[in-house]
Amino acid sequence: MNYANLKKGLAVSVATAVIALGGAGLAKAETPSWCGPKKATLALLDGYGGNSWRQVTTASGKQTVELCPSITKYEYADGQGDTQKAISDIKGMAAKGVDALVVFGDAGPAMLPAITSVFKAGKIIVPYRVAVGGKEGMNYSKFIGSSFENDGVTWGKWIKGVLPKGGNVLFLSGPAGNSQGLDELKGLKSVLGPEYVFVNQAPFAVTNWDPALTQKVLTAEIAKNAKIDVIVSDFGPSLVGALPAFTKQGKSIPALATSDGNSLGCFWQDNHASNPDFKLFTVATGNDNVRLAVQWAVALATGGEKPKEQIFEAPAYEDSVSGKPNAVQCRKDLPGAIYMSSALKPEDQAKAVGQ
Amino acid sequence: MSAVSTIPTRADSYAPGRMKLTRSFVTVVFSTMVLLIACLVFAPSSVSWGALSGSLPFAAIIAIVGLGQLMVVQQGGFDLSLPGAVSLAVVVSTHYPQQNDGLLYQAVLLALAFNLTIGFLNGALVSIFRLNSIIATIGTNALLYATVFAMSGGVPSVTTGLLANIAGGETFGLPNAVYFALGATALVSFMLKKTVGGRRFEAIGASPAAGEAAGLRVRSYQMMAYVYAQLFYCLAGVLIAGITREPTAFQGDSLLLPSVAVVVLGGTSLLGGRGFPISTVLAAFFLNQLSQFALSVGVPYSAQTIIQALALGFGIGVYSLRWSGKVRKTT
Repeated sequence: MNYANLKKGLAVSVATAVIALGGAGLAKAETPSWCGPKKATLALLDGYGGNSWRQVTTASGKQTVELCPSITKYEYADGQGDTQKAISDIKGMAAKGVDALVVFGDAGPAMLPAITSVFKAGKIIVPYRVAVGGKEGMNYSKFIGSSFENDGVTWGKWIKGVLPKGGNVLFLSGPAGNSQGLDELKGLKSVLGPEYVFVNQAPFAVTNWDPALTQKVLTAEIAKNAKIDVIVSDFGPSLVGALPAFTKQGKSIPALATSDGNSLGCFWQDNHASNPDFKLFTVATGNDNVRLAVQWAVALATGGEKPKEQIFEAPAYEDSVSGKPNAVQCRKDLPGAIYMSSALKPEDQAKAVGQ
Repeated sequence: MSAVSTIPTRADSYAPGRMKLTRSFVTVVFSTMVLLIACLVFAPSSVSWGALSGSLPFAAIIAIVGLGQLMVVQQGGFDLSLPGAVSLAVVVSTHYPQQNDGLLYQAVLLALAFNLTIGFLNGALVSIFRLNSIIATIGTNALLYATVFAMSGGVPSVTTGLLANIAGGETFGLPNAVYFALGATALVSFMLKKTVGGRRFEAIGASPAAGEAAGLRVRSYQMMAYVYAQLFYCLAGVLIAGITREPTAFQGDSLLLPSVAVVVLGGTSLLGGRGFPISTVLAAFFLNQLSQFALSVGVPYSAQTIIQALALGFGIGVYSLRWSGKVRKTT
């Protein structure tokens, strides 16, 4: 290596070091109010971590934790969809001496005994998003739910805007009887009057959030109902493969009220020109629910200021009609399985989902 | 072919004088007809062309995995590595190319390599090491899922445009996946029924001991059943990757039960022996149409499940009806 190259290399390293140190200094200067002075350790526990939504969520949780220098150690465990493992993860983390636990209790109330025992042992434990039953202060420190009913209301209002005279609504949700779908329906019904006819079987068409099943279900519904004016779905990206079924049956893709996802945004951009009725409205898919839960856990564990919000309300995100709060977003250079609504930068999400 | 008459198999399977119309074929056709009439009466939308062209690709997938499972069942085994094998093929053909059409053929070859390796492993475990097929294939299924996670991290990936066109497109008004299924059926039927190797394969399935006595290489035939099966799982996985725009990493999970169901509905004995590929494929159409019917009737989810169970019971019950004249009553 000649001298000039060495010099260049040295200069680059120094510059990097300066930027890194400067960045660290900057982060330190911006210690958020929910981060108190007391040192603590924190663990994020997932019931099932094996999809892109969870990976983006986990990365968001980690990023939030890193904002608070009082958290000396951060750990993560994935229950891998096994309730027994999720329970033993919680108990194991508590036994290891972790001070604060943030829990995605996929198994619902089945997680409550483990959560309660950890809470009784004097730990800070914050379940989020999935209701686990129990009461704040008795079974856990704080529950940070997500208002799915609010999502339903948001969708309902938009539907009223694009279809003021009423119309046929097709509502798709996940597994049979899942509480998220039921809450959303409550929200929808609170806004939409009888002039809006739900053409699916009550309470919603079951898709298990599986793209293949969604495709089958949608095909059957399109054939059955001569006119579908708007589709409501709580997992937009799983519809991407199914929507071309409309085109195949010689119909335009109808209006769609759902949650956001990069693949869906790109699909809209590619197809809205040839489908005049295809209007798209999304609410944020809610990866940032974890941030609020982590902030609460950190505030309680480190003696920081408690956040003002007690429940996560997914904001409206994209609207192809008004362009507000955002026009439809699409990043073709990044994986389809990321969520532009997340506060985590799209590039970091791409890294989190390993692509 | 003279080999036909020497194969030891259940005598009732051969209707004298008409080789083509076997009992299983008649049964499946009859059940499907009844179902189609029920569709026309109760849920006409489920047999509209639009609904059919949307659901036929899924019927084709079930048919293809059914053919794979058929091979293994004919040798008296069960292949529970199907979910992992299909999911891995899906993951390899979506994650490896990352929407780059140029890498698609490599991805398909890679998927094939994975599936063949697992096929040989399954086959060796069952035929050489004499492990129970259920145990062996559960183990390899776990191995397959480990690979699925290693490759994808459980994250779905968008499929390549080329694959979506090949697998999800239509030619002469029929979904391309249907042609793949028809091709696979023709291939299996020909190989099983019209080649010496196929006849031996069935004979060994019916009685490995007799095959051994006749000097056939029983173990290698048994082993190859698992390898052939994997070829079909791989095909199914690649097709799913094209039909579903953003398939999950666990797309094979929902195919295991249907694969066994169509083999049974197709009239193949779970004890091994003679296989009925055409009936199996028709049963796949039956099963798929059944779920479309349940969806289209517009009843609650619970009732959908019950309708499917009843119709399956009916499908199998038809066998007993035709049996009742001949079968001796058990005391």
